[in-house]
Amino acid sequence: MPLLLLLLMAADLFLGSVSLAPADVWSALWGNDALDVVYKIVWNFRFPKMVTALLAGMALSVCGVQMQTLFRNPLADPYVMGISSGGGLGVAFFVMGSSLFSIGQRSVPWLFDLGTAAFSWLGALAVMLLVMAASRRLKSNMSLLILGIMIGSAASALIGLIQYFSDAPALKSYMLWTMGSFGNVTGDRLLIMTALCLSGLLLSVYNIKDLNVLLMGEQYAQNLGISLSRVRNRIFLATTLLAGSVTAFCGPIGFIGIAVPHMARMLFRNANHRVMIPASALTGACVMILADIISQLPGTQSVLPVNTVAALMGIPVIIYVIFKNRAVDL
Amino acid sequence: MSGILDILDVSVGYSWHKPLFEHINAQLDSGTVTGLLGPNGIGKSTLLKTIAGLLPPLKGSIRHGEGVKKNDFCAFVPSQPLRAVHFSVRDTVSTGRYRYTNWLGMEDREGKLIVESVLERAGIKHLADRNSASLSDGEYHRVAIARALVQDTPLILLDEPTAFLDIANKRSIGLLLRKLAQEEDKGILFSTHDLSLAMEHCDFFWIMTPERELHRGTPAVMKEQGIIDRLY
Repeated sequence: MPLLLLLLMAADLFLGSVSLAPADVWSALWGNDALDVVYKIVWNFRFPKMVTALLAGMALSVCGVQMQTLFRNPLADPYVMGISSGGGLGVAFFVMGSSLFSIGQRSVPWLFDLGTAAFSWLGALAVMLLVMAASRRLKSNMSLLILGIMIGSAASALIGLIQYFSDAPALKSYMLWTMGSFGNVTGDRLLIMTALCLSGLLLSVYNIKDLNVLLMGEQYAQNLGISLSRVRNRIFLATTLLAGSVTAFCGPIGFIGIAVPHMARMLFRNANHRVMIPASALTGACVMILADIISQLPGTQSVLPVNTVAALMGIPVIIYVIFKNRAVDL
Repeated sequence: MSGILDILDVSVGYSWHKPLFEHINAQLDSGTVTGLLGPNGIGKSTLLKTIAGLLPPLKGSIRHGEGVKKNDFCAFVPSQPLRAVHFSVRDTVSTGRYRYTNWLGMEDREGKLIVESVLERAGIKHLADRNSASLSDGEYHRVAIARALVQDTPLILLDEPTAFLDIANKRSIGLLLRKLAQEEDKGILFSTHDLSLAMEHCDFFWIMTPERELHRGTPAVMKEQGIIDRLY
């Protein structure tokens, strides 16, 4: 699997919507007399995009594992607690608001991009804080899951309202964000996203011991003296750092968070989170980079929305798992 | 044999307004097996969960041995312990050593030896590498008991440990509980509807009657007083 990941990472650098000779890309990578334009395409566009896809795949998959274990629900995903909808609501507010304050995409593009990411993250964080506050009162994870879905639905409804009253350019900006893209994460934004994702991944590793116990139920965890609210908050924090950051910088990317943990379970046949967390991170990175390569439609001038490609890759996996096992289990 | 559990005027239930069972007073000693009997819905599971600290008592107090922390006091085995797919029996049992493993949940050398020894004592050493989900109900109940055993608590509570088992498995679980009490000085309290199993393996009975009275005593005394006959 690590070898496959390295191959896919290389392929993502060598293939793209602009055809470049492999020798030129190789020279650019090692800084040997590469053409300026090739150097710029490889280092300013393809490399950050590849790193972003790598981080997004790892982040969403590791989130998915944690959500599925916490809720003992094979259909739980990083966005099940309304992170995506919260992020979407933040972006919708910003995009509509920015047209009011004349911070249009055309006037100050960097401010618009940064604002989109910041508002998305704040929206996701607000939803997560709401869920965490509720988790102090709700004992059952299932009640919390339903609450999360309700908050997500409420956020989606508000987004619908904002869309209804928005003008065409703002609506277009918002729709483009919902399609997902790895192409806009460069420079400082990539550094911020990397720092947030690495923090989330480290926190997820720290959650491994509790996740293994949670696989056997909340009652068992309580009997072992584990504070459920503390563990849940730690898992939510990791999820916000990971999925919130991916949503903020790349848009909402669905199905990877649900499908990849099942792929990792099929491939590694070990539900112990000491195996599942790294296995999902690795599998997620491979799948996301493959989705990125496909979305570039190498050799053509067109680019597909990465969100759509990820969904088309994730859905067959879920269907396969259902038909193979007759049921999706944890 | 020493006192490890004191239940003082405890009421159990899910609502202050409607306690399931009130004024429970009982003691339990180490090295003994106690059967908790009573009709469906009387509050046996609720009492076990209350003793385990999974539910707060509505009234009264539950005291355990001096110097024992609340969470180190008892292990609880539910009637249908949840199992994880692709999670080995060894890993399942090892989760019971939560307090002793490192931050990643990994055992040191001594811990590994303890787990292996418990697997042996629970008679599931040959299943150690099997996927927990592939075991029969009887086998998995043994795994759950082994998991409770590695928690290293003076008291083990079991909620209907033989509910879905055939006669051979019921008997083997009964013998295992007996052995744990005798050889490892554990206090065992388990709820059951199986009178013959309880008669064979229990030192004491706690009987919760429909009149909301808790009768305690040896099986022979309970039988002699006609409490068992009134119940069944």
